[in-house]
Amino acid sequence: MARMPSQSSSSIPAHTNGHASRRPDVERTKILLLGLRRSGKTSIEQVLFHDLQPKQTFYLERTTRVTKRPYDTVIPLEIWDCPGDIALEALKAEAPLSQFAALIFVIDIQDLYQPTITKMVETIVSIYQENPDISLEIFVHKSDVLSEEYKIENFRHLQERVMDELSYIGTEYEQLPVNFQLTSIYDHSLHDAFSRVIHKLIDSLSYLEDLLNVFCSNSQSSKAFLFDINSRLYVATDASPVDPPTHNLCNDYLQMLNAFGPLYKSITASPARYRIPSTSVANSLTSGASSPNSPSQSLRSHPSSPAATRPTLPSMNAAPTRSRTTSLPGSPTGSASPDGKPMFYPSASTSLAPSTAGAGAGTTLTYHLVTRQLALLALIPTAVFEARRGLVEYNVVFFREGVQEICQVEEEARRV
Amino acid sequence: MKKKVLLMGASGSGKTSMRSLIFSNNPASLTARLGATIDVEQNHVRFLGDLILNLWDCGGQDAFMDSYLSTQQSTIFQQVGVLIYVFEVESRNKDKDLEYYRNCLEALRRYSPDAAVFLLVHKMDLARSPKEQVLERKAEELRQASGDVPVTVYGTTIHDESLYKAWSGIVHTLIPNASVLSRHLAVLAHACNATEVILFERTTFLVIATSNPPAAPTFSAPPPLSSTPSSTGSNGFTSTSASTGTTSSVTATSQHAVNVPEPRETDPHQLVPTRYERTSELIKAFKYSCSRVREEFHALEMELAEFTAVLDELTKNTYVLIVVHDPTIETAALRMNIRLARHKFEELQGDSLI
Repeated sequence: MARMPSQSSSSIPAHTNGHASRRPDVERTKILLLGLRRSGKTSIEQVLFHDLQPKQTFYLERTTRVTKRPYDTVIPLEIWDCPGDIALEALKAEAPLSQFAALIFVIDIQDLYQPTITKMVETIVSIYQENPDISLEIFVHKSDVLSEEYKIENFRHLQERVMDELSYIGTEYEQLPVNFQLTSIYDHSLHDAFSRVIHKLIDSLSYLEDLLNVFCSNSQSSKAFLFDINSRLYVATDASPVDPPTHNLCNDYLQMLNAFGPLYKSITASPARYRIPSTSVANSLTSGASSPNSPSQSLRSHPSSPAATRPTLPSMNAAPTRSRTTSLPGSPTGSASPDGKPMFYPSASTSLAPSTAGAGAGTTLTYHLVTRQLALLALIPTAVFEARRGLVEYNVVFFREGVQEICQVEEEARRV
Repeated sequence: MKKKVLLMGASGSGKTSMRSLIFSNNPASLTARLGATIDVEQNHVRFLGDLILNLWDCGGQDAFMDSYLSTQQSTIFQQVGVLIYVFEVESRNKDKDLEYYRNCLEALRRYSPDAAVFLLVHKMDLARSPKEQVLERKAEELRQASGDVPVTVYGTTIHDESLYKAWSGIVHTLIPNASVLSRHLAVLAHACNATEVILFERTTFLVIATSNPPAAPTFSAPPPLSSTPSSTGSNGFTSTSASTGTTSSVTATSQHAVNVPEPRETDPHQLVPTRYERTSELIKAFKYSCSRVREEFHALEMELAEFTAVLDELTKNTYVLIVVHDPTIETAALRMNIRLARHKFEELQGDSLI
């Protein structure tokens, strides 16, 4: 469905932090988006973080000022979208370059002329000189216009040219750790690329990955991702290599689930999902071990009756919480009371059968909400899921607790 | 049981693209590669297993149109069940389009007087806004051109869900026992304490029947082809379109026009009216992504914050979606009910289409 962009970049003055920043007193990880004019910087930011339909990016106006847009995921981010022809001095006047954690330079795949490459390399080198710790990324953008072979050819060509330029400037720059990615807003390559950028910025990534590895080995899952629901970027994945078709499938699945929510939302019936539990049960369930009773019941009961396994008692608090049911689909509303945590976690599963007969029993794609913004997507063999669903969900509960703890620690560490 | 469906319209209006999207499960982006249809392309599309749609995709170039109206007239226009005529919302040569349309309509009256006529105003994504007004104006023009033949007009585009809505409406009139199916779906809904139960066709994911068609229609559909009376079931799809901009369904004659308050006011849940076609579109898109990983979509269940739903195979040609708002109901219970209902629906399907 077509939608016009909800905001044009020129309507946001440079000094505000975009829309209502949810946590203004928090130190944000800053990402700098640079590139020539019309290379695609604003459309990247809008498509990823503001739900803009790729076709609508055609109507985006030129960015005239540096706009800072906050986004909260596992870590709070701030994306600095700069106009194409900004001079480095002007940028330095806005903020010292040392406070940026990552630099993404966006270049149009068809714009491989020498002046462009020279300018790009110069910019990157001067920023690197000021801030040697910055993570350097080059997005070779708009890759959808070329066919497969030309895409890869141009990509390699660009890499070589950049390396040549760097060694021309100085031998110490030959080993500059620049990461190249081929991206396009019309497919999921942009999400993959940006996800990898974010991985380098998350300090607790190794803990998240460990959690995922443990989950995968215990649930016989072949691949698992921890996705940020709104942007559909994956903040962590398990140790097995990410293969693009699987990532695309999970991304599409998440997109579908996000779209389903509002379709069958009932004004009268939906909020009834959140019921007030009796206080004693609520207290015992909101402590760290959130489900001591129910999973142990599940181990004894038949796995095909998942009724006992889910910590099913949601907490519904005062009216303010209820009015927030219109927030994101698939996310439980936050609780206002100090001891109540939202206990209802949406989940979904899709079973896929292989098209070629005899190729195996089929995989199930599972989705479990982990925090308000993160969801666990895993591929589990259908046979395992059907037979041992209760155990898988039991594992998810512990996974969820682990991720929530990590997120809490991250939040506290950044409190200014 | 075979039903002949004629798909006609000017050259380049989008007939083959529609066919590709709905029946061949290709995504909208691939339709750009389709070339002009030469003469008539006949397709036998299996719908609901026993119902075979004999789809005649007639090339729209002038030379072909002229031959349809002269030498091939009887072959083309005989024994037609449904005529679907496609117009582009902004066409270069409106008068010629209308001229051809009038001639086709006349030929149809001569050889298949009982055929139902559906007019699709296609490529609505290219229309200048306000789209509703453009569509209304075009629909009025078309109704005038049709004379006293009752027609149903839909505004469509391959880039959103409106095409599914139009085709669901069209196909619905071809299913003889739609109201019986609705009744049984209502029983299933009651057993599951569900808000809604929707029956989809397996390959095209067009909506066949739902458990709660609105009690009285706002607009009525033309008389269906088979002998069953024009029941509430067949009108389930044409009435809830008032709130969406790009689609509307209007009838030419007023013989069945019953102006009743919109069902939305009586519906306590106030679900989005475009949900049927949006569901078709979403699932089709997901099925396409699954096929790229060489896996086939099989079933889906979800327990989200707003509702619980299970989408699973019901019979070998249909899928059923059960939507429940009661948080205490587990998906396993819904699947068990589906399993138990399977037998009954297979029976229904078997003896109804003969």
